[in-house]
Amino acid sequence: MKIPFELYFWCLALIAIAFIEVGTEAHFSLCPLHNLGANWCPGCGLGRSMKLFMTGEFKASWEMHPLGGFGLLVIGFRIIEIIKHIKTTRNYG
Amino acid sequence: MANVLKHLPELEGMELGYIQGILKNMDDEQANLFAQVYRARRKDSQMILILTLLGFFGFAGLHRFILGQIGLGILYLFTIGLCFIGTIVDLVNYKSLAYEYNMKVAHETLSLMSNGFDVVFPKKNTDTNE
Repeated sequence: MKIPFELYFWCLALIAIAFIEVGTEAHFSLCPLHNLGANWCPGCGLGRSMKLFMTGEFKASWEMHPLGGFGLLVIGFRIIEIIKHIKTTRNYG
Repeated sequence: MANVLKHLPELEGMELGYIQGILKNMDDEQANLFAQVYRARRKDSQMILILTLLGFFGFAGLHRFILGQIGLGILYLFTIGLCFIGTIVDLVNYKSLAYEYNMKVAHETLSLMSNGFDVVFPKKNTDTNE
């Protein structure tokens, strides 16, 4: 059975986010815009916001990025959906 | 036993194999009905690719809306595709995204045919008894 690439991506993203240490200056950033020298983009702080949401600091999470908790829920649902999809397509294919 | 190349010649790759697996239990008339409904509802992977590319011009996540993943669509739209990372991942992954959606459509079509059109799809009962 083949595990979809997207499932790897979302799981790795959530694991990586869980290991972010919020508050340290000059944090490591994967963001292509940030690495090109842009100071801000609409997605800035989303990962840190999700991490804060995971540890239960909802107010700080909202202030870091309003979509943090929403994103975490949506990605969780998406992971469940992908796993369900693997199960339904095993019959044919 | 219907041939997928006769009814849905535009399919390719994994999708072709999968639909052939579905069509092999049908006669030509059933396969014809299935092909009509499926063709009207499926999404072309090229359209997904183009909508994903729009993400680099500020309209990220349109492909997620089109594929019925509204939550991820909103998330992508307001964060320009998770800071382009999500857009780039979906650019690599656009074929499986379209494939996944089309499989859902195929199953929907199958259940539509077996529920509402018993006259057209009489083999269903004999198949399950075997």
